[in-house]
Amino acid sequence: MSKERAIILTHNTLEAAGLKHLLTHTLHIEVHIADETFFSTFNANAEPHYYFIDPSTLLSNLSFFLPRKAKTIVIASSNEPVEDIKSLNVLMPEDCLVESLSELIESNHHDEPTSSTLSSRETEVLRLVAHGKLNKEIAQELNISINTVLSHRKNITAKLGIKSVSGLSFYAMMNGIV
Amino acid sequence: MKLITHQSKLSDIILQDPSTITVLDRFGIELGVGDTTVDQACVSHALDIDFFIAILNTFINEGYFPQQAMSQFSAEKIVDYLRKTNDYYQHNVLPNIERHFGFLIAKAPSHNNNLVLMKQFFDEMKAELLQRIVTDNEQWFPEILKNGGYSSPVTFTLWQDTDATIEDKINDLINMLIVHLKGDYDHNLGYAVVVAVFSLKKDIKQNNRIRNRLLSPICNKTSQ
Repeated sequence: MSKERAIILTHNTLEAAGLKHLLTHTLHIEVHIADETFFSTFNANAEPHYYFIDPSTLLSNLSFFLPRKAKTIVIASSNEPVEDIKSLNVLMPEDCLVESLSELIESNHHDEPTSSTLSSRETEVLRLVAHGKLNKEIAQELNISINTVLSHRKNITAKLGIKSVSGLSFYAMMNGIV
Repeated sequence: MKLITHQSKLSDIILQDPSTITVLDRFGIELGVGDTTVDQACVSHALDIDFFIAILNTFINEGYFPQQAMSQFSAEKIVDYLRKTNDYYQHNVLPNIERHFGFLIAKAPSHNNNLVLMKQFFDEMKAELLQRIVTDNEQWFPEILKNGGYSSPVTFTLWQDTDATIEDKINDLINMLIVHLKGDYDHNLGYAVVVAVFSLKKDIKQNNRIRNRLLSPICNKTSQ
């Protein structure tokens, strides 16, 4: 698995440096400390897995962070969620802080597909992949967008651990999805 | 992983990472190494010590990449090593997996066609790997040698693409065996297949790094 990436956006430099240290050395996350230019140069293709932000950054950029609340964590002085977004209480001893950080990161992983059972739609997509159909053809046949096909395929690969088209075809044959 | 140096003992290298046995074999070094050091082994087998150390370190360490040193090795040396690696896949590893798979299928009840399908998938991956070896021998290696190392960036990219799909397929096969295997089968033979495929996976992954890391500096050097 490739390393997870986090972006820290806070006006408190010391806070940023400390958090970077913990995330890098204890949780092995790749960390980048960003400044205000972050929003103007934002590249949607390089979305990180986590945003650690201070409350004022959150409040002045709500429209950016609300759609990303699953991956946003507010650096705060309590564990109360801010605007329904998870927060990290930094006024704690180091071991408790590391523990809360791990829990926050762990809870994010639960949003990923953990079951290896395919949904009926995914099974349908897999069947068409196994028949050698291209993404475009699958989208037409199921009357969905190409992006939806891509997202189904991503989930199928994540659930089954099989990436190549021929591997998926053999999996389909082994399981009677034809 | 500890870096290998001139003074490292071959026995320590193997004990640290047994998969190096097959790499040492490609340099003509067999088991029963006694307390020979890297320096001594290279003298007695007439090997280039720096090349030997670079290959082993690249093989055992994900992050190891001494670019300066790498770009100084001759294309002949690298091609010779890669040829031996290909021979090892073709004549040892693939037949070995095939043999284990054959036993596994022969001992399984006839209604378990899962194994037969997995074997077919393996055959596909094998055909791709053998095709890569043919392309290496007929196109790549002669071209690299003829031009003293230079090969055009376009074909180099194509080469890396094939490597990625072979690695993908091996990963897929491992996941099929570990996650999706169903029905009755002989457990011991099942493990044997998994272990054999795993060792191929590791070797291919490490050697793709050697292919890409050792050869791309050569390509860059001669194209400048």
